[in-house]
Amino acid sequence: MEPLAHEGLGRLLELHGRRTPLALGAEAGAKLLSEKALGDGGALKLGRRKLALPSQPLGRDTAQAPFLALSDDVAVLDGAASHDPRQLLAALRATREEAGWRRLLYTPAVEPAEMPLLAYLGVDLFDSLTAELRGAAGYRLEQGDWIPDAGATTAGNRKALAGWLARIRSALEQGRLRELVERTALHNPRVAQLLHHSRELLATLGARRAVEIRAGALSLGHPAVTEWRHSLERFTPPAAGMVLLLLPCSARKPYHWSATHRRFHRTLRELDNWLALHVVSVTSPLGLVPRELEMLHPAAHYDVGVTGHWDANEHAMFGRQLERLRPEDRYKKAIVHAGSASGLLAELLRERGVEVLETGAERPASGAGLGALRAACRTALRGVASLSGRDRSRGEAAGLAQVQFGELAEPLLAAAVQGRWPRLRLEGLANFSPRIGGFALTVQGAAALAAAGGPVIEAAEFQLRGDLFAAGVIGTRGEFRNGEQVAVEQGGEITAAGIARMAPGEMVAMERGLAVEVRNRG
Amino acid sequence: MADAFAEFVNAAKQEPAAHPLDQPVATWTEREVLDGEQVEAGVAILRTRGCYWSIREGCAMCGYFNDTVPGGVSTEALQAQWAQVLPRLAGKRYAKIYTSGSFLDPTEVPLDFAAQAMAEMHAAGVEKVLVESLPEFVHARHMDYGAAPALEVAIGLESATPLVLDKCVNKRLKWDGFTRACANAHTAGASVKAYVLLKPPFLNEAQAIDDAVASIERAAPHVDKVSLNPVNVQRNTVVERLFRRGEWSAPWLWSVVEVLRRTRECGVRVYSDPTGGGTQRGAHNCGECDQALLDGLTAHRLGGPLPAAACDCRGRWKALLAQGGVRRDGAEPWGYRRGFRGGRRF
Ligand code: SF4
Ligand SMILES: [Zn+2]
Repeated sequence: MEPLAHEGLGRLLELHGRRTPLALGAEAGAKLLSEKALGDGGALKLGRRKLALPSQPLGRDTAQAPFLALSDDVAVLDGAASHDPRQLLAALRATREEAGWRRLLYTPAVEPAEMPLLAYLGVDLFDSLTAELRGAAGYRLEQGDWIPDAGATTAGNRKALAGWLARIRSALEQGRLRELVERTALHNPRVAQLLHHSRELLATLGARRAVEIRAGALSLGHPAVTEWRHSLERFTPPAAGMVLLLLPCSARKPYHWSATHRRFHRTLRELDNWLALHVVSVTSPLGLVPRELEMLHPAAHYDVGVTGHWDANEHAMFGRQLERLRPEDRYKKAIVHAGSASGLLAELLRERGVEVLETGAERPASGAGLGALRAACRTALRGVASLSGRDRSRGEAAGLAQVQFGELAEPLLAAAVQGRWPRLRLEGLANFSPRIGGFALTVQGAAALAAAGGPVIEAAEFQLRGDLFAAGVIGTRGEFRNGEQVAVEQGGEITAAGIARMAPGEMVAMERGLAVEVRNRG
Repeated sequence: MADAFAEFVNAAKQEPAAHPLDQPVATWTEREVLDGEQVEAGVAILRTRGCYWSIREGCAMCGYFNDTVPGGVSTEALQAQWAQVLPRLAGKRYAKIYTSGSFLDPTEVPLDFAAQAMAEMHAAGVEKVLVESLPEFVHARHMDYGAAPALEVAIGLESATPLVLDKCVNKRLKWDGFTRACANAHTAGASVKAYVLLKPPFLNEAQAIDDAVASIERAAPHVDKVSLNPVNVQRNTVVERLFRRGEWSAPWLWSVVEVLRRTRECGVRVYSDPTGGGTQRGAHNCGECDQALLDGLTAHRLGGPLPAAACDCRGRWKALLAQGGVRRDGAEPWGYRRGFRGGRRF
């Protein structure tokens, strides 16, 4: 069993020549085998391998823990097809604790429309039972939906289901499963409800995957977006008493590479003491993006149509983000030059007691807009203490490191800061990495974090040449999620730094698959 | 697991509401067959302390405790109930006297009261009386009434499969206990009717049919007739919980007919009068063909042939049965029987 890719709690697994998630009875070489004796649960066949299923849940209250019925190789979530969303999520939350990482998770008789979401939440096996009955009742499966069709057949629906699962696997492989889930949620209230209730589960246990977010209304609940908004609580501006400058986001990411932001930058650079301006971009669904964080995922990787219309949800979201930024304590004053969002933000800032200058520019990057920006900045910067390039870089590095590593950033902040944003370096401990969009730890940096309680992967003592695979993992310390930076320890010494590509329990349990993508070796 | 199941059963139960002690639960009349002849039978349910087993745990589908009086009912109160039942038996040759438990359990229905009731029915010209009992109370000494109509004892076998009794029904009944009770009844001159369940909770439709057929075939040599009881949803039971959650649906009427068809040759009369038939809480089909089949079952019970009807939904029933070996519970997609027509959701 080898995990090939992760998204959310879902896994693309390869085993016995098949890839999961798959639908038993629909795809070649994967089927359910009938029970031999009443209630024994039968078995399933994958390729040439036969795996026993746990016995039927006779007499069991499926709403009570333990939620899963277990055989050696399979964990079955009975009742998954009928549980209400909260009940189903309670069971899914308990999956790894009850079943570990080496059993396949099977949800019997669920609707095809729910399969993308269930796969995203960690389910490996489905079946064709519901699709067959639909065929018998005159409904054809098309893109996960039921179309009335007198010519519908059981066999036809099995085939369509195989296609649907292939689509789920390919989405998972590309990190686009969330998108498929959001699309099915649009016309399926049960999926929408499940998705809504699974936010917290995904944000705490889901794999972090740095793919571009192509946003729709539901992306406001995307775990990477939720996480981003919370990360602002850890952020501090480069220095105290700066002037906050709110600018509109740009279609091109990261912003500072866009034509509009380059024009802003050219304008600002001409001003005296321009380093005392702290640029924060205003955007949906992320809210506020301080310049230091622009290169991080998902700020550098999302795509939303800007409508220029801000709804009540977004209004509330900006309010919360300002609360996290606490501008009233941290900035001397604020300039709002954010196009369509300006009125809204100026009002929210004033409510917090911040002195606000509005440029009033409708087209912020136009010649007139830039003129208004220049004038507002000149006014605002009057009497503001000047900030040196060195101090500013120090502050920027600190802000970025705190967002990336939280409390564990402490030992990093002791290092000398070199370079200028975005190419900042924490001497010996971390360097800016375009791939990470922030600091990549060196081996010493990872060791410093590890000494402060950061995540450590204990690996067997062998010459580590490339990446670390699950077979070499002995144990883990500290907390981390799939996608976060970790240290690799061998024989009591930190020998490498890299990015975890499995969850902690998973890399210990698995015998195959990439556990740590090694980026630096000692 | 058995313990968890007992907990599940008990968690579903509720304290019965307060009931007047001097009123029977219900009385009515129904068509029956007596010695090959159609007659009007008088039926009464007496309110008692109820089934001793349901006080401890009870069966997963049984809501009889809802009609009981936990503190027990005195002989005087039983006599007061009886005074209302007796006049309604006037002119009836066949009587069915139910309690929400075992008529032959002397701690539930005192022997002196039972003997008095039997004597009065005998005097009133009732020829045959049906009572129900768990097998453990079917002894000659519990049926020693003196003057009495011919006695018919109905015993809830439910299933002849230990696994089903243990994990689906939660009934502590042993096959030996059942056959001994049948023999005891016969020795005492009584006839025996067995109740067999169709689709106890947790079984899928196909498993349920097979189990009912096997149970009937196994019971037939020991009994005089079999009533096939499709499980229906009674209040405050495990079945009701599973039904509400969508983890179990009541059996199809096609399944009822199928079991009757497959047990035609078993040597005793087998029939079915589905409680709540044609509703979501009882055996039902698509809604179009239900009434015709229910009428057919009634005719069959009174001596007619097995119902024959055709309907679109039969193909859907067959498709469900085809999944019998791999379906893990008694559920099916919401609205499936109706062909997903007119449902509030798919
Ligand atoms: S089915 Fe019979 S034995 Fe079981 S609880 Fe009900 S009355 Fe008692
Ligand atoms: Zn029908």
